[in-house]
Amino acid sequence: MNPDSIFTFTCPVKTNSGNKALENLPIELSSLNAGKPLIVTNIGKVGRTAIRTLTGAFGDSGMTLGVFDGLADKVDPALIEQLRTTFIEEKYDSIIALGGGTIVDSAKVLNLAVSMKTADVQSLSAQTSIRKSLLPLVVVPTADATGLETSQLADLNGTILSSEYLAPGLVVIDPRLTRGKDGKTICATGLAALGLALDAHIGAEKNPFRKAYSVAAIHFIKENLPVAVRNPDDKKATLAVINAAAMSGCAFSIADAAPLHKLGQVFQEVHNIHPGIIMGMCLPHILGDYLNQGRNDLSSLLHPLTGDDEFTQTPEAQRARAAVAVLNYFTADLYSALGKDMPQTLKEAGVPPYVMEDILEVLDADQNGVYLHTVVERIQDKTPVAERKG
Amino acid sequence: MRIVEVVRAGKKPFKRAYVGIFLWFTGRAIQAAATVDEQVRQEFASLPDDFTFSLGVLPDGPWMLIGKEKGRVKYLGGNPDGKHLHVRLAMKNIETAFLILSFQESTALATARNRLITEGEVPQALAMIRVMDIVEVYLLPKIIARLAVKRYPSWTFGRKVFGRIGIYTRALLGI
Repeated sequence: MNPDSIFTFTCPVKTNSGNKALENLPIELSSLNAGKPLIVTNIGKVGRTAIRTLTGAFGDSGMTLGVFDGLADKVDPALIEQLRTTFIEEKYDSIIALGGGTIVDSAKVLNLAVSMKTADVQSLSAQTSIRKSLLPLVVVPTADATGLETSQLADLNGTILSSEYLAPGLVVIDPRLTRGKDGKTICATGLAALGLALDAHIGAEKNPFRKAYSVAAIHFIKENLPVAVRNPDDKKATLAVINAAAMSGCAFSIADAAPLHKLGQVFQEVHNIHPGIIMGMCLPHILGDYLNQGRNDLSSLLHPLTGDDEFTQTPEAQRARAAVAVLNYFTADLYSALGKDMPQTLKEAGVPPYVMEDILEVLDADQNGVYLHTVVERIQDKTPVAERKG
Repeated sequence: MRIVEVVRAGKKPFKRAYVGIFLWFTGRAIQAAATVDEQVRQEFASLPDDFTFSLGVLPDGPWMLIGKEKGRVKYLGGNPDGKHLHVRLAMKNIETAFLILSFQESTALATARNRLITEGEVPQALAMIRVMDIVEVYLLPKIIARLAVKRYPSWTFGRKVFGRIGIYTRALLGI
């Protein structure tokens, strides 16, 4: 990489990770000039125990918290407006999002609504100018994450809001909350994080800082996701996967130019399916296309995937092909471990034909729509990924 | 319609009591060790005459204060309000304090994990950590003290036994 090239990179996210990390929340909030946080979550997704663990971490702090556990599976503008009113009337001064995916999107939109005094959430659009700091936003991810929690993006039901001020100021990753309820959940999270990290690593917007995050994220996923998938109760492995998800969100920035992210996002919006499941299905196809077309710097993936020895022993001309082979083997191994629990095609994922029509309609409207359409056709009901192992 | 549940942060009375009693006894033991142990006496001799140090838990304690008054090291109680402190060593929360003071994590490891905040001159803070390490070696059996200190020292049998008797006696009597 040419260090003279012109680039910008911002990552305003402070990370607190490890045993008893949640207990640091009171002092971290006070350093952000906050003392009365509103916790927002979806009890159906995170469970009552996670909420109790989070509120229990404030023990002996003397703080008063608001807890709203009724967020919907999608960002609900009417609910956000109701929460905005309560937030202002009850004088809350910060937001803690417990969970991942749409929970954090809702928290980011709520933060925007209260900080910018936007009464009509529906009026927010991709053109909305966000030019000043918002109120403190803390993200406490659980095993069900997408990686985008730490990004500078918020997805308001298909409208992508983008600003460095949307990124959380703090992410707290505690092993008590990162253990997955099953292998499929943590696998989907890991694949989503891997997809974002790959997009950031080989995409057009790569730069040395972005690469530092993506290399670490890819390395963490490669080392820990197979362990976490086989034993979702493994504290160390699941903590590493969620750390990788947080890093991939910091590395990722350009939503439009990233096909893996785009496909995951559209399927999530239209059919409420975890983006990691879709990204896992598409990954071998998209990387195969890159390899055949000689596009993107695939050879640079070999080092974070295999380490020093294999990277140096592989001739430069073969590194791209070797990296794709490693990734194909890696994903096939995950699917083998999960068996029928993890869908490998859209048919197995239960995406009905009428939904497919809606999805293809949305994809066709994209600037890269023709290509994305062909990828979706290939994952509808073709050779399952696990059969390509070896 | 009220959609947000208001929750007041709970209390952790057992851990708070444990940490409070530990700090109270350690404070008195440091006062005793400054009389009994030569190495502790030398550490305090290198500190300013009006030196004051506090160790405790954020945000509301408990705290322990140690200070030098007319050349003597004294335990100054548990209320740091209004006192000028040269060094303040604060554990970020009661869970952290319990981890450290129940020897599940050594002070060095806890520092590496960013669980402590140090305010004041670093050499003075390090002197106080060395003092606390020595006091822990006196107060605790070897099997536990090894978890609390970075390196367990090799002292003579006499220093360990007579020092332990002296420190326990003085700490209990408050002299």
